[in-house]
Amino acid sequence: MQNTDRAISSTGTTARPPVRAAAVDRLSRARPTQVRLWIMTAVMAVAAVVWLLPFVWVVVTSLKPTPDIIRVPPEWIPWHLTGEHYNEVLFSSSRTARIGRAFLNSTIISLGSVALVLVTSAMAAYPLARMRFPGRDLIFGTLVGSLMVPNVVTLVPQYILIQRLGWLSTFQGLIVPEAGVVLAFGVFLLRQFFLSIPTELEDAARIDGANAWQIFTRVILPLSHPALAALSIFAFRSAWNDFLWPLIAVNKPDMFPLPVALALLRGAYSSESYGPIMAGAALSAVPLFIVFLVANRRIVEGVQLSGLKG
Amino acid sequence: MFAGRRRALRRRVSPTPYLFLLPACLLFLLFRVYPLVNGLWLSFTNARLGRAEYAFVGLSNYEKLLDDPRFLLSLVNTAYYTVASTLPILALPLLLAVLLNRGVACKALLRGAFFFPFTLSVVTVGLAWLWLLDPVVGPFNYYMRRIGLPMPSLLAEPQTAMWGIVLTSVWWVTGYYLVIYLAGLQDIPRHLYEAAAIDGASAWRSFWSITVPLLRPVFLFVFVIHIIGSFQIFGQVFVMTQGGPGDATRTVVQHLYETAFQSLFHFGSASAMAWVLFAVILVFSLLQFRILRGHAEY
Repeated sequence: MQNTDRAISSTGTTARPPVRAAAVDRLSRARPTQVRLWIMTAVMAVAAVVWLLPFVWVVVTSLKPTPDIIRVPPEWIPWHLTGEHYNEVLFSSSRTARIGRAFLNSTIISLGSVALVLVTSAMAAYPLARMRFPGRDLIFGTLVGSLMVPNVVTLVPQYILIQRLGWLSTFQGLIVPEAGVVLAFGVFLLRQFFLSIPTELEDAARIDGANAWQIFTRVILPLSHPALAALSIFAFRSAWNDFLWPLIAVNKPDMFPLPVALALLRGAYSSESYGPIMAGAALSAVPLFIVFLVANRRIVEGVQLSGLKG
Repeated sequence: MFAGRRRALRRRVSPTPYLFLLPACLLFLLFRVYPLVNGLWLSFTNARLGRAEYAFVGLSNYEKLLDDPRFLLSLVNTAYYTVASTLPILALPLLLAVLLNRGVACKALLRGAFFFPFTLSVVTVGLAWLWLLDPVVGPFNYYMRRIGLPMPSLLAEPQTAMWGIVLTSVWWVTGYYLVIYLAGLQDIPRHLYEAAAIDGASAWRSFWSITVPLLRPVFLFVFVIHIIGSFQIFGQVFVMTQGGPGDATRTVVQHLYETAFQSLFHFGSASAMAWVLFAVILVFSLLQFRILRGHAEY
């Protein structure tokens, strides 16, 4: 790789005499020549395909009948397509394969958590971005500081709290703590975004007699769709994929979210029957995959916002 | 006029901002601050599941941890995992980001392909790799045999099991750091590279003299996030090895989970473990701030 880089840069620069910076700038915008562009693209495309092979293998396995699954050498094309494993984990009445139910639980938990995060963090971010009041910097500083606290530190006391509230194995026992984990990040993200909205619109609304709540709901929120979408995806992913907290906070199989149900599914089958396990694993990836296809750019923006300014 | 309005707002303390903050503060105080403080208190008590009153026992939980060989081993294992995974997690996403940033077609699609594993849950990732690394019928060992590198079963050998976990984690999170690096690379002004190229610098030289120094804040972020995450590694181990073979992949959070929720239900001791881990993470993070601090100036 380094050699190609070097070769490319030498063709890109030494072929031309040094000229004025502006001219170089213009030339260099056009620099990735077509050949080089397609070689790089091909190399990276191969790398990307190899990168995705582990998941391809999951999907392929889930579509093969059991005898084909354990065949050596590995077959990458499911010659005898079957939906039996999906059927089993989704619709079987067996006590272990409750992936369908778990899918529903995960959906409820994740959407609930997203809603709670959106409401609480947007409401908190607005005054932190736009109003002056005693304690503002302290509140914001505490929220941001809490991002450095590892979640595992609150695991045991949170369990005791949920137990005392009588929330073990309930939706609220999963939704509220999941929202709590994302809250500080959400406030931070939305505050950054609100700060970037010009104040003129709010001032105009205020002159027209709008109060703070009206300005928040009618001016600020409608302008904040990109940030709200990024936060929703972030919160959804966080709740959908969380494993440790639901593993502890849920004791009833009917209330398991997907990651817990999958982990226990693994224990329920012998190691040779990877079919149902891989079907469950593939199913669990579907919602975020769809979100991802639709909002690839939004996800990336969310990650980058979280990264560089956090 | 607006400045005057703001001054007026500042003078009288209106309840409005506090009403807006109320729901978030309730959630935050009850589910973040209270557990944090309570956890510290628990670590000085003999709290157990089902025990109604917790007695203060001073530092005894912490002292016992020092005598608990499995806890110390789990701490060593966790540190081993963190160190072993740091270089690949710093270098591989950076390499991919630099290559993607040098001009490819369909950049968003390629970036998406590398990012995809990060959208999966740790359980899905763990199961996928458990199956890939299956010693008998898994493709990984099959292809290693075919290219003449017969591998012992990665996860079944105490010497290599942690590397199986590292491999899995790297696959899982590389896309996340790739996206972070890409953002950092895009913030580096192009004219620096052009000036370097005019001065005859090779791409390799530009990388080390421009890219690496200017990415310092990004490295710091990646380091700190990686340290916080990898010291808390649990899901991969739970799904793939259950801490085995022997205790070769037993990690702190797994030990904590078993202490508090599987065998002993000893909340006090588990809380002490959590705070020891917190302290370790804090020390590592501060060290990195020390080493990598400094402002990028363009």
